[in-house]
Amino acid sequence: MRSIWAIARKEFIQVSRDRRTLLLIIIMPMMQLMIYGYGINTDVKHLPTYVYDQDRSYLSRRLVNAFTQSDYFIVKSQAISLPQVYSALDRGLAQSALVIPPDFSANLIKKKMAQVQLLIDGTDSTPANVALNSSQAIINAFMQNEKLIPVQVLPIDFRPRLWYNPDLKSTYFMLPGLIGLVLQFLIPMMTATAIVREKERGNIEQLLVTPIKPYQLILGKIIPYIVIGMFIATSIITTMHFLFVVPIHGNIMTLFALTLVFLIVCLGIGLWASTVADNQQQASQIVMFFAMPSILLSGFIFPTGAMPVWVRDISYFIPMTYFLKIVRGIILKGLGFFDLIDQVWPLLLMAILVIVFSIRRFAKRMG
Amino acid sequence: MSEAHYSPPPAGGVREGGFFMSDIAISADKLTKRFGKFTAVDEVSFEIPYGAIFGFLGANGAGKSTTIRMLCGILAPTSGNGKVGGFDVQTQPEQIKTVIGYVSQRFSLYSDLNVAENLVFYGQIYGLEGAGLHERIKEVLALTGLDRFQERLAGDLSGGMKQKLAIANAILHKPKIIFLDEPTAGLDPLSRRAIWELLYQLAESGTSLFVTTHYMEEAERCNTIAFISDGKLLKIGQPASLRQQLHDQILEVTCQPLMKASRLFLKLEGVRGVTVYGTTLNLNVSDLKAVEARVRAAAGKEGIIITSIKPIPASLEDVFSDLDSKKKED
Repeated sequence: MRSIWAIARKEFIQVSRDRRTLLLIIIMPMMQLMIYGYGINTDVKHLPTYVYDQDRSYLSRRLVNAFTQSDYFIVKSQAISLPQVYSALDRGLAQSALVIPPDFSANLIKKKMAQVQLLIDGTDSTPANVALNSSQAIINAFMQNEKLIPVQVLPIDFRPRLWYNPDLKSTYFMLPGLIGLVLQFLIPMMTATAIVREKERGNIEQLLVTPIKPYQLILGKIIPYIVIGMFIATSIITTMHFLFVVPIHGNIMTLFALTLVFLIVCLGIGLWASTVADNQQQASQIVMFFAMPSILLSGFIFPTGAMPVWVRDISYFIPMTYFLKIVRGIILKGLGFFDLIDQVWPLLLMAILVIVFSIRRFAKRMG
Repeated sequence: MSEAHYSPPPAGGVREGGFFMSDIAISADKLTKRFGKFTAVDEVSFEIPYGAIFGFLGANGAGKSTTIRMLCGILAPTSGNGKVGGFDVQTQPEQIKTVIGYVSQRFSLYSDLNVAENLVFYGQIYGLEGAGLHERIKEVLALTGLDRFQERLAGDLSGGMKQKLAIANAILHKPKIIFLDEPTAGLDPLSRRAIWELLYQLAESGTSLFVTTHYMEEAERCNTIAFISDGKLLKIGQPASLRQQLHDQILEVTCQPLMKASRLFLKLEGVRGVTVYGTTLNLNVSDLKAVEARVRAAAGKEGIIITSIKPIPASLEDVFSDLDSKKKED
């Protein structure tokens, strides 16, 4: 036991002297939070729009107003010709253009079918979809508000409601996931390099002739990174909650307990990488090799439901897939341990398998 | 430097209140290690008493490190036996680790910890703690003269001080046996001398030292030396008696041009080897008088000018190259 603490203590001193690692621990989580909290906002709002209003009537102005008031569109410019509209779309000055023909209000007053065209830049599918759906809704509301259609009694009263994230804020979705992203990225890297460093600098040669046992060495090396991992998780959760006002609906202790399980998986990956790599550079390459698919296929950005079946099958073997469901479940939905049991047991199983496998491999390599 | 001060202490004479089961600190009995078909260490046998400095000599890859690793309990021998501090290398490697100190060839303490932190860490690993640990650290710092550098990062120490720290570290838990793998490699002469002074102090207190080295003048400082080559122990004995075995066999020739002469003399009958020094050649010969005549004759024919030619006592380097040439003849 004393040996384990001796190693853990030594490891802490080393980390505290390593400015690069210290910066990573503090800056990287904050940077990610800033990027995903402020920078990457997948909520589509204020789509730059050109308006070519050839009608210039009371009704056409009301229609343009309806578009701008929705917050989804913002009028960048009043165009005076179609070629101007096309070139604005071509050059990316506008992502949509509203074209109102000269006979718009005349037709409406005559109770004839009037035409309105919305041109949308479909290059990026996400804002294009939003523009398409919201414009439909704006037009429907406009027709009702202007009494252009009789109020009908519909046979189905359809009222969709959004739960958990009623405003569809992407920060709610992204920021909790960052706990997984940052841990998955930093912890295996730090653990692996910390162990490989001893090999690289020859420290292990001296340790081998001491009475220390492999399991003591591993535990001593791992404990500091558990502490660091929990510190990182805490700093993300705190910033997310207080700066980005993401509500935490579930039990914080459950969240920490399951974060610890995920952390152990990460440590195991790092430990395993350290038994394969000969130097720190190789170790970080191996860790990156595993981190990339975890980020892309776990549902961190792209929902697993939208993936082809074979890709989804891969995601079942990625620990982060389960951890993301757990953090989002606890933070956004307020789920408890037993609601998440389908995610908890695979994660727990992975933690046990990975850590046992890598400790045994490590002990074998050391002996 | 006074010779008396640096002469090795008598080996095997120190006994501490019956602490030891026997006077033998390290013994190897036909110790062998094979890696696949390659035999790294081949039936090596020797005994080292407590208080002795045992010099283990050999070229790189001769099997020195493999032998040390087996004796330290981190590599299991393929066959043969060994005892270190009374423990068996085959069956009790973990116990061996508690009674030995080890100074590796390459500095392997933590360069980002300071001197005191390194010692605290290793002291804890060896089970020392609290006041006892700090007392002991003070002692080893005083012994190695590192007291002033406690706060300095190990990585910022000079080469000589690094080695002193490594030795301070190896003796923290008061081992009676210390293995030193080329402890003076790459050090300047002054640092090397300081390290050896330290080693003598340790030996005098009854500690047995197992030292590998490349330096012949360092081998001279050991009680016993052994030559290993290709995994086989070629020769073992006291430096003086090994040199004695080559008595009347070394001819020193001062001549010009040196390299041409060395090639020429090597072909002469009765010359086993030629070693080139600054302005002289050392010829390892079978018969002094006969070879001297042949050398003079050959030199005259080839236009080599000989300024002096005389028999000299053998050095350990001569012993070493003699062993080497004999091995090649086999």
